[in-house]
Amino acid sequence: MTTPTLTERYVDAVVRRIPADQRKDVADELRATIADTVEGRDEATPEEAERAVIIEMGDPIRLAAQYADRPLALIGPDFYPTYIRLLKMLLTTALPIVVVVVLVIDLLDHKNAGQLIGTGIGAILTVGGQMIAWLTVIFALIDRVKRQDAVTKSVEWTPDMLPYPRTPDKGGAAAWATIGWYTFLVLAIMFQTTAPYTADDGRELEILNPQLWNGWIWPIIAGLIAMSVIEGFRIVMRGWNLTLVLVYTAAEALFALPLAWIVYKQMILNPEFVDDVNGDWTTPAAVYSGAALIILAVSVTEVFKRFRALPADR
Amino acid sequence: MFLVGTEETILNLAQELRRGTVVLACLAMLDEPQYGYALLETLNGAGITVDGNTLYPLLRRLEKQGLLTSEWNTEESRPRKFYRASDEGSRVRAGLTREWQELAASIARLTTETTK
Repeated sequence: MTTPTLTERYVDAVVRRIPADQRKDVADELRATIADTVEGRDEATPEEAERAVIIEMGDPIRLAAQYADRPLALIGPDFYPTYIRLLKMLLTTALPIVVVVVLVIDLLDHKNAGQLIGTGIGAILTVGGQMIAWLTVIFALIDRVKRQDAVTKSVEWTPDMLPYPRTPDKGGAAAWATIGWYTFLVLAIMFQTTAPYTADDGRELEILNPQLWNGWIWPIIAGLIAMSVIEGFRIVMRGWNLTLVLVYTAAEALFALPLAWIVYKQMILNPEFVDDVNGDWTTPAAVYSGAALIILAVSVTEVFKRFRALPADR
Repeated sequence: MFLVGTEETILNLAQELRRGTVVLACLAMLDEPQYGYALLETLNGAGITVDGNTLYPLLRRLEKQGLLTSEWNTEESRPRKFYRASDEGSRVRAGLTREWQELAASIARLTTETTK
């Protein structure tokens, strides 16, 4: 086998990036054109001339994009602003929440400071990297699909399509924080089943009462997830409406009533865990009743806040 | 940001001015069938500077739009793809020429008024 010439390598690099049905034709034309151009130059040797011509033709990726009439941008101007906005949101809001959750889990696991730093950096790199990678892949795909759409459909723009100016969404950040907090609670409930607490006698204990998994814990978890989802809707719709608040109230009740009840009945914590923490001391019943009342009060406040946030004209 | 000299600014903006004229120049030259490299030489000789990596893909795009037709000529030792303007290409050329003359006239009026 002979070594391919510079021209052959260049032509190959260009045509393998264009649609298959045009490859042979473009390759033949490119070959002839390069040969013509080389002949027209007066470099000392044909090799030098060939090299100079190919340098002038430039990066094969760029030339192939011209032939295929394809954009050289991964994400075009239509989607770039949304992409950047989402990326910022993921990295400044979602990523810190995930990192904090992972750190808390490690902390409850009695890991030392060095391990915590390792976990933190690891989480930032892997989770952050995944967020960037997937978001970019998704947007690049959307961009390509939409561009072809636009070419085939080419909807005519009219002034009626103008969006109404958006008022700044004041409650948006709070809604994100709420989602973060509920997600954290669900993860914490899940995590504590790995028996993170080590008793004085070396037994590894769950913090919540294992009996709860036979019933009471499920409405609590369902309520938390439902509230997170509703807050998500709230973010998308940029505000509350009556239906959303009513559903939220139901979810809050699903979460808070069982929780308050099991706290009041002193069923929330693992008895072995309580014994180990308290030693000889017994927690007065008033502490549980008080905690139950606080849970109810906070829940009522949360519901009330959302009713107050309803737009006045409805 | 670095500062670009006046010369460089003119060069960059002139390139944008020229960009649209290459299509008109191609259509004008391709009354007679011509192959890529020869067309490039003719254009450059006529003062329409264009790079090969711009011209060759452009020819194919114009062909795809139906403004040019092409044919492989295998009579000589090196087979070459010859382009020529289609009927539609000739009509477009006439329209573009008119546009160009109007534009040149407008610019001429504007620039003489402002330099007074």
